[in-house]
Amino acid sequence: MTGFVQTLVNGLLLGGVYALAASGLTLVFGVMNVINVAHGAMLILAAYLTYTIWSHTGIDPILSILITTPIMFGFGWLLYRVAIRRLAGTAASMSVLLTFAIALMIEGSLGLVYQGTFKSVTPSYFDTSMQVGPIYVTTARLYACATALVIIVCLFLVLTKTWVGRAIRASAQNPQVARLVGIDVKAVAAFAFALGVATTGAGGSLISVLYPFLPASHYQWISRLLGVIVLGGMGSLPGAVIGALAIGVGETMTTAYISPSWQTAVPYVVIFVVLLVRPQGILGRRTRQDIVTA
Amino acid sequence: MRRFGFTSIAAAALAVAAIAAAAVSAGTAAQAPIKIGISLPLTGDFSEPGTAALRGYQVWQQVVNANGGLLGRKVQLIVKDDRSDQNTIVSDYNALINENKVDLLLGTFSSLLNLPASAVAEKFKMVYVEPAGGSPKMFNRGFQYLFFAQQATAPHQADLFSKWVKNLPPAQRPKTAAYPTQDDPFAAPVVAGVQSQLEKAGIKTVYTTTYPPATTDFDTIASAIKSSGADVVVQGAVFDDGVGLIRSMKKVGFNPKALFQTSAPSEAKAFTDAIGAQNTNGIFYAVSWSPSAKGSKYPLNQQFLSTYKKKFKSNLPAEDSADAFAAAQVLQTAVSKVGKIDQDALKDWLHSHPVRTILGPLSWDSTGAPRQAFFLAQWQCAKGKCASQIVAPKVVATTKTIVNPKPAWK
Amino acid sequence: MSMLRGVNALRRINALRAGRLAYVGALILATAWLIVFPLYSHNIYWQGILFFSFLLAVMASGWNIISGWAGYISLGQSAFMGLGAYTTALLTLHLHRTPWLFVPVGGVLAAAVAALLGVVIMRTRGHSFVIITIAFLLILQLLALNLRGFTGGSTGLTMPITTFPRDWQYAPFYYVMLGLLLLAIAMSWAIRRTKFGTGLIAIREDEDKAGGVGINAPVYKVLAFAASAVLIGVAGGVYAYFITFVDYRGMFSIQYAVLIVLAALLGGRGTIMGPVLGAFAVQILQDQANQHFGSSQANIVVYGAVMAGVVLFLPRGLVPSVAEWARTYVARREEGLSGAIDLRPSAVPAVRDSEPGPVLLEVKGLTKTFGGLRAVDDLSFSVREGTITGLIGPNGSGKTTAFNLIDGMMRNEGGEVWLAGEQVDRLPPWSRAHAGLGRTFQITRLFREMTVLENVVAPLRDFRWRQLFADAVAGHEAERAEELLEFVGMRRFRDAQAAALSYGQQKLVELAQVLMLDPKVILLDEPAGGINPTLIERLVEKIRELNAMGKTFLIVEHNMPLVADLCDPVIVLARGTRIAEGTPAEIQRDPLVLDAYLGEGWAVEEAVGA
Repeated sequence: MTGFVQTLVNGLLLGGVYALAASGLTLVFGVMNVINVAHGAMLILAAYLTYTIWSHTGIDPILSILITTPIMFGFGWLLYRVAIRRLAGTAASMSVLLTFAIALMIEGSLGLVYQGTFKSVTPSYFDTSMQVGPIYVTTARLYACATALVIIVCLFLVLTKTWVGRAIRASAQNPQVARLVGIDVKAVAAFAFALGVATTGAGGSLISVLYPFLPASHYQWISRLLGVIVLGGMGSLPGAVIGALAIGVGETMTTAYISPSWQTAVPYVVIFVVLLVRPQGILGRRTRQDIVTA
Repeated sequence: MRRFGFTSIAAAALAVAAIAAAAVSAGTAAQAPIKIGISLPLTGDFSEPGTAALRGYQVWQQVVNANGGLLGRKVQLIVKDDRSDQNTIVSDYNALINENKVDLLLGTFSSLLNLPASAVAEKFKMVYVEPAGGSPKMFNRGFQYLFFAQQATAPHQADLFSKWVKNLPPAQRPKTAAYPTQDDPFAAPVVAGVQSQLEKAGIKTVYTTTYPPATTDFDTIASAIKSSGADVVVQGAVFDDGVGLIRSMKKVGFNPKALFQTSAPSEAKAFTDAIGAQNTNGIFYAVSWSPSAKGSKYPLNQQFLSTYKKKFKSNLPAEDSADAFAAAQVLQTAVSKVGKIDQDALKDWLHSHPVRTILGPLSWDSTGAPRQAFFLAQWQCAKGKCASQIVAPKVVATTKTIVNPKPAWK
Repeated sequence: MSMLRGVNALRRINALRAGRLAYVGALILATAWLIVFPLYSHNIYWQGILFFSFLLAVMASGWNIISGWAGYISLGQSAFMGLGAYTTALLTLHLHRTPWLFVPVGGVLAAAVAALLGVVIMRTRGHSFVIITIAFLLILQLLALNLRGFTGGSTGLTMPITTFPRDWQYAPFYYVMLGLLLLAIAMSWAIRRTKFGTGLIAIREDEDKAGGVGINAPVYKVLAFAASAVLIGVAGGVYAYFITFVDYRGMFSIQYAVLIVLAALLGGRGTIMGPVLGAFAVQILQDQANQHFGSSQANIVVYGAVMAGVVLFLPRGLVPSVAEWARTYVARREEGLSGAIDLRPSAVPAVRDSEPGPVLLEVKGLTKTFGGLRAVDDLSFSVREGTITGLIGPNGSGKTTAFNLIDGMMRNEGGEVWLAGEQVDRLPPWSRAHAGLGRTFQITRLFREMTVLENVVAPLRDFRWRQLFADAVAGHEAERAEELLEFVGMRRFRDAQAAALSYGQQKLVELAQVLMLDPKVILLDEPAGGINPTLIERLVEKIRELNAMGKTFLIVEHNMPLVADLCDPVIVLARGTRIAEGTPAEIQRDPLVLDAYLGEGWAVEEAVGA
């Protein structure tokens, strides 16, 4: 029983971080109807940024969120200006191909700079743990999860309480009407995309402490995050949180009760099952775009 | 079908002509250099060991040319980069044979790349000495031109450790063992080898697991080993996972009587930094090369060390560099003993003669698998200083003591 | 002037024909050269590179079937190579026979798995399909890694080395792979010529519309997926034997999945030779760069950059772009597609010669809501055989929604639709088309990238395998399509791209397209909307003619004089339900109808005079 609770707690802690990592992906999809396949690569990019900052200056990786997030925001903005905005009006598959191409460029560039070996960020607390009753909580996971939740709450407040957030949601729900009430939909899209990419800054810093990474790790991450948002409902932020917690728990349970080797299978299985049984996910709205009605 | 008949006649004629030409030119010597073709993973997943191997080859080239070359000719290396990609390495060796018209080939790094590359060499009947590719899969294909220039294939890498365990006096002898390993083509077969040998010696296997490369949570595995009560832990550890399991064993309060890890402990400084120098005490691992090996059994070892240090302004070569140097040494010895570049004669000679290298004497069975043993190394701490020592075989041992049982974690 | 134009046109046709001939000639020469290459050159490097090029071309060509034609982008196509490779390797190792024996088995297995996957993921489109294909590849990779006892796990499996003489060099591999490539090209060519091929493109262009013209998209997609995998599976086995070694990284290769897409995009997806030429370009350039300039990690960056560049700036790929360029170059200063429509009067007398027959189409209590809005609310009416029934009503009264419910574009929430005594409202659109329902759209929905003739050939009257593989370019189906084009006066434009036609011309082609179904009832959604009076006249004449031949029509139209002229009876809709029915004269006098239009802020005069 203790073992089960322990596994559950570990899963929920990881899930919190996954939720942050997936929030930008679901946001961008919701606003622009673009699946940013490069989202995983951007996370890894941010993880390497954190690694560089940490190994050169010793700045705490969680604190370095304050540096990586603005950098990734700028990166997202630039990417939108240079490439993403040209996608308007093309088929969904083209946006997947374009963002996949971006992912490859990021992966290759990281390989050039950092080589293809695992790197990890190891601050003093990364292998310590605290004991709460019979349960061990790894300090790094606790910090990372708490930070992630704070950021998600902030993101949620930005989206619901600020003018920009309302503009983003209006554009997502009905671009025509949004335009009519005076929202510059294109500028909002650029901002939303950049905001989505900015979350990878924070997410990347956190996962750099939790997992070793190499440039090709982005495949695993994008699969995991697609699993999260497919499960939660594409475009829904609360859905992403629920999906992330479920996948986090699914992974730790698989590791504990089946085998560590099958842990990576969890998101793939989730993607298959959800897209077949309930394509709109837990909290998603059903769109004609992705589902054959007949 | 007739075309091929014609081709073989033409090829035979060409070969005769080439031999005649070689015979004529042999007298005038010191002309065209001997071209040796190599493709290495200088980029991609294996770029680190690939680059180390290149350095080993380059040091060898410098040493051999400084010592008068091979058959009186200078040696020229033609190096290609296969990007750790199996198609590219096939193209590279095809190009080396056909476009660059190299005289000799040397092998690449890792079984994954040596498997397809050695098949090219075998097909075109070129001797292929490879420095790093000990997967048993390499040697179950009945190749005749393939030679692996380390002491043993992966399942036998830890033979000396198994032997040491088996030879312990009954009172000290462990009864049970745990075998966690990363799912890595280089680590897993080593652990499987130890497991089968120790099982034969009556040591009970109480725990096995294979975990993926990105595993970070070793608490579960450490707890499982603890509850299995294993006396010996043999881990197929690449690096981070070796460090991770040690930390987790410490955390769950478990100290095995003996701990063997495949390659993690060989990364000296990174290893001591990661787990704390005092905690290394007593950990075993296997290595193919020792910087301290001297004498006629290890020819050129000290020259290799000094040239390497001078050439790359670096302190100590990586094991992969030494392995590459040794592979080149094998080829060099065969060529000078045979006295000409004749692939079939070279292969026959190597199958019937041992070769002395910086790794020690090597000899091969009919499949090209080596028949010696890796060195057994152990981290030992004395008077607050910790260093890795070679503990077996006796001829290279740097110390006579073996720390046993493993001291408690600090 | 007109003579000059004729001469120019002739010159243009000759130039185009010469260009085509030169292209085909070059391809044949290249093939011949590839066939003799190993006979005179003993360069193993080039044999190897060409082998890899053939392999990539086979895969890109397969990819093109599902992704180029059907428009379903697969980012996991190398999975089928891996399936073929592992199948061949495992059978070879267990049965100890030559791998050549098992190579076809790999192809069959790959096709079977593709078909199965196709059945499972039939409902996913767009993003979801792409994601599933990536997930599929990664799952297979994981299985190959984790099922150690079976697949050899991370250390993989080794194949026996070849036993043929060394003098043969790579010739056996080379020729087998070249043979597979020629087979792949032949298969592509054959598919493109059949109704199966036009159907796939129809799905890519407009899947809903394709269903409306009788194309059973799920079956098409599953077949296309299997066809796209079969030769890749065979090639995978040959590749495994060539490389002598099978492991999860090399065989279920993400890099190959990317290269396939890159090759096909670069060459030109949706063309027969584009993916093949793209594959040669990608493979040879990549290796030559490596041999001569050395390589670096930059490789992946370059893949990515080229892919992004192609997606953004050359989305159609090289082959179509060059062809397009050649066409426009030749066609400079040429007449466009504004040519006159054939306006010769028809031979058939346009007089209805029989009284209305029994009820053919019946709608009972049909209901559909959008959010809280009841777009169609308990709607009932019937259409008798041999009539031209009008369906009118103010904007937003639910006419088009009713059409969508009748032909199956949308699912009704309540009520029934009966066609010729058969309840059809639970049937998919294509089955309703097969049952005798044809429909045109308010805004035409031709398959834009197809030629006019292909558009008309594409529909399927019923689902029979023989019909699926009927020749779409020549033969019976094409003849029939030409007759129909002749009937609507659009035969001259048979080879023009649908997208290049004027709006009115598109309406005529869409009518011919629907007629290809040989429907019992034809639903026309605002046939006269947005086209010039001459064409309206033409259209009316055709409708009358068809009606005289026994076709029944249900027409939504705002042009009241036209309705009054053509339709009898007329059904009036308001707020989603039927408020009146009768002859045009009766309707015009009905106070309820007046109310309905006035209530919506319309003056009857205005509506009638519009």
